Amino acid sequence: MAENSNHGMNRRDLLKATGAAVLVGGLAGCVGDDDADEPYEIGMVDSLTGTLEPYGERNERGSELALEHINDVGIGDDDRGLELSVQDDESLPEPAVDAARVLVEEEGVPLLIGSVGSGASMGIHESVIQGTDTVHISQNSTGAVLTEEPDLLRTSPSGAGKGGHLANLISDDGYDEVALTYVNNDYGVSLRDVFEENYDGDVLATVAHEEEEPSLSAEVSEMEATGAEAWLFITYAEEFIVFVNEMYDRGLHEEIQFYGAESTIADSILENTPEGSHDGMVGTSESAPEDSPVYQDFESRFQDAYDTSPTVWACYTYDAVMLSAIAIHVADEFDGPAIMDVIRDVTNDPGEVVNSLEEAKEIVDSGGDPDAINYEGVSGPIELDENGDPTGAYQVYEVQSHEYVWGDVLT
Amino acid sequence: MVDQLPAAFVEWIVSNGQLFASGLVFSSIIILGSIGLALVYAIGDFPSFAHGDLMTVGAYTAVVVNVILGLHLAIGFVVAMVVTAAVALGTDKLVFRPLEGRAIELLITSIGVAFAYRALIHMGFGPSSRSYDVGGRGGIEWIRETFGVTVTPRGATIVLTTLVLVTALHLVLQYTTLGRMMRATAENKELARISGIRTQRVLAAMWLIGGALAGAGGVFLGLELVIRPRLGFSILVVLFAAVILGGIGSVYGAMLGGFVIGMAHELTPMIGAAVGAVPLLPAFGSEYDAAVAFVIMILILIVKPTGIIGGKTSA
Repeated sequence: MAENSNHGMNRRDLLKATGAAVLVGGLAGCVGDDDADEPYEIGMVDSLTGTLEPYGERNERGSELALEHINDVGIGDDDRGLELSVQDDESLPEPAVDAARVLVEEEGVPLLIGSVGSGASMGIHESVIQGTDTVHISQNSTGAVLTEEPDLLRTSPSGAGKGGHLANLISDDGYDEVALTYVNNDYGVSLRDVFEENYDGDVLATVAHEEEEPSLSAEVSEMEATGAEAWLFITYAEEFIVFVNEMYDRGLHEEIQFYGAESTIADSILENTPEGSHDGMVGTSESAPEDSPVYQDFESRFQDAYDTSPTVWACYTYDAVMLSAIAIHVADEFDGPAIMDVIRDVTNDPGEVVNSLEEAKEIVDSGGDPDAINYEGVSGPIELDENGDPTGAYQVYEVQSHEYVWGDVLT
Repeated sequence: MVDQLPAAFVEWIVSNGQLFASGLVFSSIIILGSIGLALVYAIGDFPSFAHGDLMTVGAYTAVVVNVILGLHLAIGFVVAMVVTAAVALGTDKLVFRPLEGRAIELLITSIGVAFAYRALIHMGFGPSSRSYDVGGRGGIEWIRETFGVTVTPRGATIVLTTLVLVTALHLVLQYTTLGRMMRATAENKELARISGIRTQRVLAAMWLIGGALAGAGGVFLGLELVIRPRLGFSILVVLFAAVILGGIGSVYGAMLGGFVIGMAHELTPMIGAAVGAVPLLPAFGSEYDAAVAFVIMILILIVKPTGIIGGKTSA
């Protein structure tokens, strides 16, 4: 009883104080009913520094364009904005977990986008998300291992498909022996496994290396000792730069056919390796649907804003943010379970196809039927399956005259 | 049979020549870094976690001179040594000295200093990877023809410059008054001061020397890898292994420890194959390079707990 009356006193005090504040300061907007004008806050863990930093910039741009649209239109009946609270994961799993803790446990976001590295995304999911109601979407992780966590959604497709294409590509080029090096984390290990399962020839060496290793000479020596003429690099930009320069120094770049995946594409690689150091390199990467009008519209907006074409990674992040906004609009309440209830349905059949929050709002009211709409994004149809994975498309690239040239689309 | 052994040994060495060549370059960088770390330990009695990032300061100073101002990297190298020495001394005056030798506080503070260096570099230069504007890629032809190994002009410069710097430091320590005062101060600060040595000046000199060598090592590390904000931090653990192996606080120990750890790191494929030749033991590859360096450190410490040169009287 005593506790109750105390509570009452406190609340009255608070109300008085609030009233006073409204009268004196004219702060009605800030303390009005249920923060009506406050934007919805969600979190994002992103690789702003470290070896995955090229992705961080792509993510920043993709999310900025999505937020621009969302805040123009507004979420829900009261057209509230969306605020993205971003934390850096330094491209490493442990800082990623710390970053997610800040967002989920301290700021209490009901929806977390994060992150780029598969190890980082898995770490966040296992250490921070599991056991909470928080909705988790990875914007850029492609590790096959994420498929095992059905509640870990992602807008980037699983690398399982890409590894298979890569294996076929190397076989089709006539190489029945390959030496492989991979970055020793969830991304590298899972792509290595997928590749080995699908490759018809012999993998003569699988050489592991760590992120930010201070020297990769011994790794190159080990691969050279196998005598393989085709080398596959499953690694990140900074590590690949060191590999390419080491091989260039030893004259190996003239003898070896380089193969790579999506993480061995970056402007920083071209800037920090000599001209001609890895011309002829071939690889497979996730690809944006360049023929779709939705993508083309996104591309021209991206061009206007940043004076360059978007990568598919910016598309995935754009879709992660846009999908979050649509799910918040459709959900009954702004909390994890309500958003989770609808988020898969708004990306799948049945429902009328929508490409933006604006179109979604025309068809379904806030808290409405998630089956009324089917979001198709700038990166593709998305269609999150029971494992939380989207459908994805891939494309072959080649390095010609120290530039990336895009080739066949693989599905 | 016995006659064949040396020949087989020579062949074994030659077949691993590339690993030795890479090891020399890597060791040189580790030596430059670990000397400074050992000096700081000798003076301040704390392991400075900021030392790796101090090397990054050197690497980025050379970026300013070489890439932004467009001067030759040799000038950038000298400026980097001067600036890094100044930063090391300034940090001591501003941050470390006020803590009055409380080791745990200094250790934790040095982690903060490391973050501060890295954050400032990050703010000034952004997170992207960079390279020096200098040639020297590709193997030296006559070395490749004679020994069948690749040594780049960059690598050769690193090894030779390190030799010069280490020799110079040796001469200073052994044959100058400053060197004698430094050794005395490192041995016993109080006694040195009572004997009339101005220990504050000697300590300043040691910070300057350690900082300058860290700057040199940072430039070389950036030259061999790629310049990035976490450049020096990523080899800090290896530096600690070298310093502990050599005998904490001993400059000569750090030189030797740096050499052994650097070599072990790069020779791991060879060591792994040799271990694999022993029945029941598994062969292993370069993925265990850091582990091998530490196993060697532990083995040596079991035999000689004070480290290779620890316990002797040297700076």
